[in-house]
Amino acid sequence: MIRLEGVTVQVGNFSLEEVSLVVPAGGYGLIIGPTGSGKTTLLEAIAGHEPLRRGRIALRDEDVTTAAPETRRVGFVYQHYHLFPHLTVGENIGYGLRREAPDARAGRIRDLSETLGLVPLLSRSVRGLSGGEQQRIALARALAPRPNILLLDEPFAAVDPATRRVLRRELRALHEREGITTLQVTHDFEDAMRLGDVVAVLAEGRIAQSGTPDAVFRYPNSAFVAEFIGTGTVLRGTVERMQDREDPAARFAARFRSGSLSLEVVAEREGEAYAVIRPADLLLSRTEGHEPAPRNRFPAVIVRVERGSAVAQVHLDAGGTALVAAVMSSTAEELGLAPGVSVAVAIKATAIHLI
Amino acid sequence: MPLRTSPWALTLWLLAALLVLFVAGPLLRLLFQASPASLGTALSDPELVASIWLTILTATAATLLSVLLGVPLAYLLARVPFPGRRIVAGIVELPVVVPHPVAGIALLLFLGRQSPIGQGLATLGLEVVNRIPGIVAGMLFVSAPIVVSAAREAFRGVDPKLERVARTLGDTGSQAFRHVTLPLAGRGVVAGAVLAWARSVSEFGSIVILTYNPKVASILIYDRFTLFGLPAAVPAAVVLLLIALAVFALVQVLAPDRAEHR
Repeated sequence: MIRLEGVTVQVGNFSLEEVSLVVPAGGYGLIIGPTGSGKTTLLEAIAGHEPLRRGRIALRDEDVTTAAPETRRVGFVYQHYHLFPHLTVGENIGYGLRREAPDARAGRIRDLSETLGLVPLLSRSVRGLSGGEQQRIALARALAPRPNILLLDEPFAAVDPATRRVLRRELRALHEREGITTLQVTHDFEDAMRLGDVVAVLAEGRIAQSGTPDAVFRYPNSAFVAEFIGTGTVLRGTVERMQDREDPAARFAARFRSGSLSLEVVAEREGEAYAVIRPADLLLSRTEGHEPAPRNRFPAVIVRVERGSAVAQVHLDAGGTALVAAVMSSTAEELGLAPGVSVAVAIKATAIHLI
Repeated sequence: MPLRTSPWALTLWLLAALLVLFVAGPLLRLLFQASPASLGTALSDPELVASIWLTILTATAATLLSVLLGVPLAYLLARVPFPGRRIVAGIVELPVVVPHPVAGIALLLFLGRQSPIGQGLATLGLEVVNRIPGIVAGMLFVSAPIVVSAAREAFRGVDPKLERVARTLGDTGSQAFRHVTLPLAGRGVVAGAVLAWARSVSEFGSIVILTYNPKVASILIYDRFTLFGLPAAVPAAVVLLLIALAVFALVQVLAPDRAEHR
């Protein structure tokens, strides 16, 4: 378990302020945030490299706030791997095992290099290896001494997307096999969705929001979080109540107006608000007929289509308002979605999240 | 830059060639002046041989002291942002701009019999002036900055995160230093030490004031030149030059190849 309570760290002009977070034993936590938000500093504080001005850190129910890094049993993988350039691949992996018996050491190196496909590289120098190879070595090196906690700093940032997918799968499998409590820093929300049990969004040294990935993803609590996690469309507008209710605390049907758009929503309060709409919740169709319209149906023109391997991001212009939709690439093909094409957009009222 | 015969390019090459000639010319002239026979004579001259041994031993002692005291300072300067770091870095660089006889006078005042420190050292049996420790002191004063700046640059070239990784893998601070930082910075530190050794061997200005006798090689050469003239000084000068050239070659081999480091 990783428990942070009011962790405050000052590094030069930058500070982490009152960071509190719990990653349960065996869990996988993710910290996401833009560059410069303090993600790496937070990991380094947990590893014991940066002293705390205030707050407490407990790892596995043991207070390590003032403990030396070498006593914390933490595995650390940096974004740029930081392999020891004067050692071979095998020596890098075995670095943390020097205090163990030679047999146990060799066995552990062999196990990990088999799991991570590093056996052919063991006697090689670490210079000139690919990013994916270096990443696996750094991971094996961190896991070798069987740490209680694994800290990963942007582990996939410097590898190509194909390698990233493979590494992500391997990491999840390793995490399940070794049952090690993990905290990963990323700026990629896809990592968070695929890997995380707990997600914390870090902004300027503070945690803007934390919770399960689904909760943070669906219900961002601020425009910063919504825009940062790239949920697609964030609209600024006003909420107007459509029906009167006695209970002011209850949710009510309302109308959200932003530019020329007027959408039916379920709201908790009136007035100025941001509406967050996930790309997958924008339903696109080419129907030009006048069949019974569902709620929140309006026309839009396609501005741009970004085709991924499975999902295409479709950028739309609805009477001056920019929207982003996601459809399966095959669907985009079938519908003939291309710049300049007119489509009908439908959004369920409950899919519009107001903050 | 491609070779072109414009007046500008010709000027560049001409000026550059003049300087190379000015440096290489006298050294080559000196080397050719000494015949193998005269070198043999020089090496059978007991006073010269003793002086060269004294020079090698004192330069080695000064270099070891420079490394022992200079490497920790270099590490602190490279890694720890302590208050007054720039001032300390400046103080250590000062000997580079102090004329060497001035350094000799300053050391004489600081370490001589009249000073409390000199008296303290004398009661410990470590008399400095006109003794071998005086030679080492002069050498240390001028060569320590070389070790400190070389080692500091070498430590700066090693990413501190490597040490942090080693710490999380169970190393204490000193283990991480010995197993990671020092091996990676080692070439730079050794190159600095070799240069410091060469600087010590060539030191004259401060030693001539602190300890004229026993004579190190540079003083012996000066002594022979003033007493017996040029021919008497040449064999000793050649021997010293050969030692310097050997050290120079060693530095070329040890100099860290910047391109290899990220």
